[in-house]
Amino acid sequence: MDIYIHSAGIISAAGDNSNEAFLASAPAYDADRLLCDGIDYTAYIPAMQLRRMSKAVRMGVVAAKICMQRAGIEKPDAISIGTGLGCLNDTEHFLSKMVTQDEQMLTPTSFIQSTHNTVGGQIALLSGCHGHNLTFVQRGHSFENAVINTALYLDENPFHNMLTGGIDELTETSLAVLKRAGVYSAEPRGPESILHHTRPGSIAGEGSGFLLMAKSAKRGALCIKGLSLFVTKDTGVALRKVDDFLQQQQLTSGDIDLVMLGTNGDGKYEAFYHQLAQSIFQNNSRAAFKHLSGEYPTAGAFALALLSHVAGMGDIPSFLLAGPPPRRLKHIVLVNNYVNHYSCWHLTVA
Amino acid sequence: MHQSAYIVNTGLISAIGNDTATCLDALVTGRSGVGKAQYLQTHWRDELPVAEVKLSNAELAKLAGADKDWPRTAFLSLIAAREAWQPYADKGEGLRVGFFSANTVGGMDLTEDFYASFLQNANAGNIASVANHECGAVTELVSNHLGIYDFVTTISTACSSSANSIMMAAQMIGRGMLDIAVAGGADSLSKFTLNGFNTLMILDKLPCQPFDQNRRGLNLGEGAAYVLLMSEKAMQQCGATSICRVSGYANTNDAYHQTASSPEGTGNKMAMLKALKVAGLQPADIDYINLHGTGTANNDSSEGLAVSVVFGDKVPMASSTKGFTGHTLGASGAVEAVFSALSIRDGIVFPNIRWQTQMEDVPWKPVTELKQGCDIRHVLSNSFGFGGNCSSLIFSKS
Repeated sequence: MDIYIHSAGIISAAGDNSNEAFLASAPAYDADRLLCDGIDYTAYIPAMQLRRMSKAVRMGVVAAKICMQRAGIEKPDAISIGTGLGCLNDTEHFLSKMVTQDEQMLTPTSFIQSTHNTVGGQIALLSGCHGHNLTFVQRGHSFENAVINTALYLDENPFHNMLTGGIDELTETSLAVLKRAGVYSAEPRGPESILHHTRPGSIAGEGSGFLLMAKSAKRGALCIKGLSLFVTKDTGVALRKVDDFLQQQQLTSGDIDLVMLGTNGDGKYEAFYHQLAQSIFQNNSRAAFKHLSGEYPTAGAFALALLSHVAGMGDIPSFLLAGPPPRRLKHIVLVNNYVNHYSCWHLTVA
Repeated sequence: MHQSAYIVNTGLISAIGNDTATCLDALVTGRSGVGKAQYLQTHWRDELPVAEVKLSNAELAKLAGADKDWPRTAFLSLIAAREAWQPYADKGEGLRVGFFSANTVGGMDLTEDFYASFLQNANAGNIASVANHECGAVTELVSNHLGIYDFVTTISTACSSSANSIMMAAQMIGRGMLDIAVAGGADSLSKFTLNGFNTLMILDKLPCQPFDQNRRGLNLGEGAAYVLLMSEKAMQQCGATSICRVSGYANTNDAYHQTASSPEGTGNKMAMLKALKVAGLQPADIDYINLHGTGTANNDSSEGLAVSVVFGDKVPMASSTKGFTGHTLGASGAVEAVFSALSIRDGIVFPNIRWQTQMEDVPWKPVTELKQGCDIRHVLSNSFGFGGNCSSLIFSKS
């Protein structure tokens, strides 16, 4: 695959990566949700425009801006987006008015912004990007599919770059519904509980991760070497697929410097992550990320952006690690899941 | 593209028929599917005509052979995808198969009912009815039913969604990442989309008249369409023959407005030119354009001007088929890809029905009568959507 990540932009419950405060301190909370409410968007978007943007659009547009700013560009050549649930706030707003007003006296704004490709369209509009611009909505593989699209695009346009991102917002409704469905924990939890699978449901989250991707190598940049996706309800199958991926990438435990796992505190996935930590990856340094982001369909975009950011820092904060720090950072494996959708990444630091 | 992706079969359900052959018959005999809603329960049923698939959910479930609790979009998707895939389903031993779908509405029809109860009480409403709310969930119901697992994706770029899923499928076959792809999209009518488009004041209260000077707007439709794409190797193994191949594709962005097209159709023009470049063709090579042609004042003007810029005074035969099917949103790119393939296969060009008056700002006229016995070698199909999304596909005789 060999796609280089030239920069990353992050909007998360743990802050945005535009300043030194990001990753400066360990997360501390006792909550049932991790929201991106503390972000100051006004530094990036005029207040007038900001008022018309839903949270999903703000998170997406600003993470894209941070990403481009860090790469020193104002406009990408192309855009590829993943979102599991799309612009939920606007969808609910229009739906609720439609139901309560019996289909009458409705206004278009929230309908217009409820479209799944709103974020991609807004980034194109604000940056004047006329290039290829797709949005993927494949549950826990939405962002990963956007990356596959990036690989296809860069193959055909090897001198271009592509702004690739994942966004999902949490609403009161999605929180309530996904609690009832057992995806999210009914009880408040602390960061420690995300690292240990003891209770049903994970902590709800939201956020946005954007990456500027290109074929051209950049020293110190994260490079995507391989990506494998699978859907299964069976832990045994999932473990075998991770094994298959490592073999296909010709990676043995000794080659791997860091393993980042999508541990999310949900007892349903304890067997999977526990097995990985105790068998294939037992001798590897391990890290986690969902105690910063919470769980959502495109949390993989946050993980990749976080790894890109950390690779640039050259140092991994201890609160991301479960165990000893890596001796060096060359080969990284990222294994993540959102419900039954799993992804395995092989990354290197160039 | 490294190798060609060939269309070997199609599947289609829309307001003008429940399979490809019936839809084709309607196009040839001039039978439109636009009329009063019979199944969509809406306040606007007497005022806004729609192009409904003429079956209830219970009838669709039966025809699909699927669980009765699926969203309507999933029924439509399965019926059309299976028509395309079924003849070859047991011939692909050892080949890698992908399912590329697209939709904009997901399981919204069921969510609408759930939400009414949920608004009264957060513990009310049947949670199972929103389990398939996500666009990707609808795709997975169908891919699981068909037993396709090697690659499954859903693209949602509004009205160009399924043109983009065909583009991506052709790219992955082109690169040898897959051997076979079922690619297209589906969308059912819902109160959500009908009311949404109604607030934009772009729905026609009468059957629509694309590319007519006095056009009043679009009619929403519903349906699903898929093309079965194969590599040469897969065609040999499956004993399939090519109808045509996907020779060109492009996706561009108008970057002008969230819902409206730029007056001069910048994104539309770029998409057509790029697709021609990918196909290695000149504008003069195109024999037929299946227009996006929604019937709105804005779309037809900007698309019409973009076509003029690309083709100059030699605009090929061109028509919008939305007068028959309505605007099937996320399905429309695939519906029209199937029509494009049929145009090449049968040497026919479909009429732009209800056209009466020449547009003042567009110098060319769409084809208004059925043309038969033509040698159609290359067809260009346009699909444009919200978010400035512009897609053009080119299909070529192989």
